[in-house]
Amino acid sequence: MLRQKCEVCEVGYNAKRGARVFCGLSGGVDSALAAALLVEQGYDVTAVYMRNWSRDLPGFRCPWADDLADAERVAVTLGIDLEVWDCEAEYKATVVDYLVDAYAHGYTPNPDVMCNQTIKFGTFLERSLERGADFVATGHYGRIVRGKDGRVSLLRALDEHKDQTYFLWRVGERALSRALLPVGDIRDKAEVRRMCAERGLGVEAKPDSDGICFVGPVGIRTFLLDELERRAGDVVEWETGRVLGRHDGAFLFTVGQRKGLDLGGGPARYVVSTDVVRNVVYVTADHNSPALFCDELRLTDEHWISGEAPADGRYLVRTRHAGELRGAVLELGAAAPVLRFDKPVRRVAPGQSAVIYDGVCCLGGGIVE
Amino acid sequence: MDNREVYLDYAAATPVDPEVAAAMLPYFTERFWNPSAPYARAREVRDDVERARGTVARLIGAQPDSIVFTAGATEANNLAFAAVDGHVVVDVIEHESVLACAGMHERRTVRVGPDGIVDPAVVARAIKPQTELVSVELANGEIGSVQPVREIARVVAAERARRLEAGERAPIYLHTDASQAAGSLSVNVGSLGVDLLTLSAAKIYGPKQVGLLWASDDVRLRPLVYGGGQEAGVRSGTENVAGIVGFARALELSCERRGAEARRLGGLRERLCGEILSELPWAVVSGPKNAKRRLPGLLHVAFAGIEARRLVIALERRGVSVGTGSACAASRMRVSHVLESIGMPRPLAEGSLRLTLGRPTTEDDVDYAARAIVDVVRDEMSRLGLDDVTQAARVASLLGASGQVSRNSQGQADASSEVRGV
Repeated sequence: MLRQKCEVCEVGYNAKRGARVFCGLSGGVDSALAAALLVEQGYDVTAVYMRNWSRDLPGFRCPWADDLADAERVAVTLGIDLEVWDCEAEYKATVVDYLVDAYAHGYTPNPDVMCNQTIKFGTFLERSLERGADFVATGHYGRIVRGKDGRVSLLRALDEHKDQTYFLWRVGERALSRALLPVGDIRDKAEVRRMCAERGLGVEAKPDSDGICFVGPVGIRTFLLDELERRAGDVVEWETGRVLGRHDGAFLFTVGQRKGLDLGGGPARYVVSTDVVRNVVYVTADHNSPALFCDELRLTDEHWISGEAPADGRYLVRTRHAGELRGAVLELGAAAPVLRFDKPVRRVAPGQSAVIYDGVCCLGGGIVE
Repeated sequence: MDNREVYLDYAAATPVDPEVAAAMLPYFTERFWNPSAPYARAREVRDDVERARGTVARLIGAQPDSIVFTAGATEANNLAFAAVDGHVVVDVIEHESVLACAGMHERRTVRVGPDGIVDPAVVARAIKPQTELVSVELANGEIGSVQPVREIARVVAAERARRLEAGERAPIYLHTDASQAAGSLSVNVGSLGVDLLTLSAAKIYGPKQVGLLWASDDVRLRPLVYGGGQEAGVRSGTENVAGIVGFARALELSCERRGAEARRLGGLRERLCGEILSELPWAVVSGPKNAKRRLPGLLHVAFAGIEARRLVIALERRGVSVGTGSACAASRMRVSHVLESIGMPRPLAEGSLRLTLGRPTTEDDVDYAARAIVDVVRDEMSRLGLDDVTQAARVASLLGASGQVSRNSQGQADASSEVRGV
């Protein structure tokens, strides 16, 4: 609450004209418009296509060719340089390996959160600054506020449906101070597409690409099966302990999951929890089973954008991208932060992010235990 | 300025000729029968397929039963390589389908000169006593080099004779992929002296996914696709009747028009080349200088230090579609293996356009495209702060440094580097 009021007038990215910006171009709609807006506002823009992950094999058509071609089309239309940066090694080390390791241990991680922290606002930012950039820009839906006191904070996007601050909670204030998010001020996605079309950027018809950024056309299951060994185990009914069937690896399942359980008919069943050590998947047929709900979440690996933990108290919490904002009380305590919800909420898979807001301001969050 | 659409990428795809389309149409609807079915109607369709086979055979100077229809040239090339187990010899600028097949054999890869032409003497030295297949395309689709296939056939024949005299039993065959050549060069298997020949309908105003492999009586083909035993057991699967009929008609039209069309395309190519060079004299034209040694309708031109991929996009906005030698080839950003192999310096390769003219291309198209190309190159030059004087100097230093491309084609590679073995 404290910092939010004084900064209403400062929303946006009022850096000086001619400032040097490296703008990530993914080939998608949002980053295309971000680059266009920056050019129009008089920034000196260099576009960068980050090549993060290519599950490419010799003889196969490379999956990122089309995205790069679209990025190129945008850059040529805007008359700006496009560079292709190879971030594959960093991405592999910090995102892919993290993802596989987390799944192997029974967690359901958010790779986008890691990617933003270590790649887009990590490697990309650092390399850009080394190259003399004043700012980096991306097509994220979020708003960066630069207060008169020099402090910088992150607000949810004006388009609450597209808001991506859920994926930005591990980015620190220092990185944000060098970042521009030009589309965060646009009221809705239709407007973004219309603005792209007006400018002839040629990407306005592309579908949204929410979700796991790198696995692309390959599903997470296919991806994990390339990396981890299948292992047969029991599917156990939560209430009775009865074995209902077999599964091919507890790491492939996540809390709340319904699809992919091959139990030979019967009612729809939901995953209540998984035990990757004993390789057991617990399920229930009761969609309203108390086992699928919780009223508190214990967090680890917490991160606060400002660098300082907020005071204990009531905040808004989001446990999935574009999910509902729910009221909860944050208690930092001595050990680990705990979030107590006003009303029970659907259980959140361990490894997911819980992101904490003070009004529209994203404070940070933690990883669900 | 008129708003024209000019397509200059006929080496990538050709529109199906209306006559070809008309010949194909009945087979989608009223003449849909399976050629293998026993009733009279089906026999008619089978006869149509065999008539098409006969037409194609006559046009390439072969026996009908030595032709296998495939789903395109890539499959035909795969089928050719599947006929042998042992050592193969290919040149380094072959199409990916040939290089990929060669990659599964013990092999030697021969280099080409700066003009992209294979030296038959180098092929002769690359052939080992156990070599079973030599594969050299008739014409290269990227820089247009026409290979001396007849001379290479003599080299292979000499090796065959040597083995016969020496009592060595290993066979040796010569394969040529004539996909890019069929529109402008003779593809008579007898005069080429080859044992295996690949053709594609898609490059001669016929349908895509239709091709053929011709094999001489000496070669025993081995199937890659098993099933009902169609195509004499070499290529199972119900015949692509419409495609085969269309292929035959397309090849007929190509052969009828070949001479006149080659001359016309050659003239248009010179016009395009002249118009670009008169405005941008520092542009670098690659490929054989001798018009007899290259495809008539192909112009490969490079603009040093200017990204061709950007030119492609800028040209697309002017309605002009062109190919480029730098693309996301396979998986990395890199220039094509053909340009690398002729020793083209990277700043030239990355700035190169492949312009291929075709049957529908007119003088007006060429003039419009030349204007558009000059304009978009000039736009990029002004964006990058380049001018003609610095560009000319840059090209001179690039060509001087590499010692390639501009020099004449007879720069004989030294013996140690001409062949790459595995």
